[in-house]
Amino acid sequence: MSSSISNRHFLLRRLHSLLGVVPVGAFLAFHLWENSQSRFGAAHFNEEVVGALAGLNYLPFIEIGLIALPLAFHAFYGLAIIRDGRAEPMRYGYLRNWLYWMQRLSGIGLVVFILLHVGMTRIAGLLDPAIHADLFGHMRSALSNSLVFDLYLIGLWLAVAHFANGLATAAISWGLTTSAAAQARFGWFCLGLGLLLGVIGTHGLLGYLSAPVGTGA
Amino acid sequence: MTSIAGADRPALRGDGSADGARDTDPSSGSAADTQRAHSRSVELQIRRQDAPDAAPYWQRFRIATRPGDNVVSVLRALRADPITADGERVDPVAFEHNCMEEVCGACAMLIDGSPRPACSALLKDLGAVIRLEPLPKFPVVRDLMVDRARLFAALKRTRAWVRLDGHWDNHERAPRISQRQWAADYLYSRCMSCGICLAACPQFPDAAGRPADDSAGFVGPAALGQVRLLNAHPLGRYDKAERLHAIMADGGLTDCGNAQNCVRVCPKEIPLTTAIGELGRQTTVQAVKDFFGV
Repeated sequence: MSSSISNRHFLLRRLHSLLGVVPVGAFLAFHLWENSQSRFGAAHFNEEVVGALAGLNYLPFIEIGLIALPLAFHAFYGLAIIRDGRAEPMRYGYLRNWLYWMQRLSGIGLVVFILLHVGMTRIAGLLDPAIHADLFGHMRSALSNSLVFDLYLIGLWLAVAHFANGLATAAISWGLTTSAAAQARFGWFCLGLGLLLGVIGTHGLLGYLSAPVGTGA
Repeated sequence: MTSIAGADRPALRGDGSADGARDTDPSSGSAADTQRAHSRSVELQIRRQDAPDAAPYWQRFRIATRPGDNVVSVLRALRADPITADGERVDPVAFEHNCMEEVCGACAMLIDGSPRPACSALLKDLGAVIRLEPLPKFPVVRDLMVDRARLFAALKRTRAWVRLDGHWDNHERAPRISQRQWAADYLYSRCMSCGICLAACPQFPDAAGRPADDSAGFVGPAALGQVRLLNAHPLGRYDKAERLHAIMADGGLTDCGNAQNCVRVCPKEIPLTTAIGELGRQTTVQAVKDFFGV
């Protein structure tokens, strides 16, 4: 009868799609917005940005339930999905086929980057209270290393590209956009959104380095 | 003058010269001159395979062509005198063709690496060397001939048919469809089951090592297009929920990766990705209905 409810395949695939947009994609946008305030310096960042978030009630539940678990499901179910596909970007050089390929490559890259990124910040902050107390200084010294900065810049743009393309294809998968014209229109919208988020994120990365030194820490 | 007669057109020998007299039409010498002036020879590089489990190998052939030739007509000519570019007489190249007007889908193959019907691949649009391979994703029967049973397995899995017989009244009057809907539905009715969309789909799995009934893995865009068509059909819509449940199971709609190669390579220009978007909408609604028990 209602095989779509009793068969978990459809539900798991749609859950993977949904979680990629909300909460993971939404968190990405929020995260980049928060970090874009790095240019206001250590005092502002450590108190108004990190401090305000660290003071939230039920923070562990939010971090684990709304960010970590959905992200982990999206990442590992995504890796399982990648096994089914075989992209031939050279034989079929169409834009969407390249994006199909890029979505998978960026997904693998992001698993590595996010593990490194969370380890360097959130986990390091848990282990070392000094890092947690001055996350701005920690990030500033880390990003001063050009290797780390490049890694973050690549990770950032992989993330926004993965999110923007994922949003465009999720709209097709859920049936929001059906006609080729609607899919193209929404694709351009997602491209704009991705570029905007990428610029905000890049601004945030540069802000750690360009913020005035004397404002704290 | 027929353009697909083969027996009168010998394959060129290794030295490139035609062996034997060319066919000329005595009633119109100038036309024959024109034809000869336009004729050229091409090299066919064909991926051959003697049996389903045999190892593939490549052979080269040189053959004279005529104006208006397509890949099927050249293959027919080659069949009459299958001599390789090295002068060796070999078994004729096995291939399928039927309608010669791109409505049957039988002659789909890889031409210079692209999946397309051979009958509508005109030689004037191809180079001097043409590479022919069997259509990927389907088991090779022999040479360029593949077994398309997987495609029909997918149609069966998705209940892509209309039940005409039953104990119920199908409808009281002739079914009424708006002109707009008729025009949209018609696009999907043009599917000729050639399998080209499946060859290009990165999510449609290779045939090797799969169960004979093809009961798992992505059903592919061709069957999804038919689900879209029949869900809108005045009689087919009675089984809409069953079809949606079929494509919500393993290997169904959600296995689409939105690479959209299907719509790019479809020789009938079927809006397969629109079908996938519309079925995405229908399955979303169906899931809500299933959840609330509607």
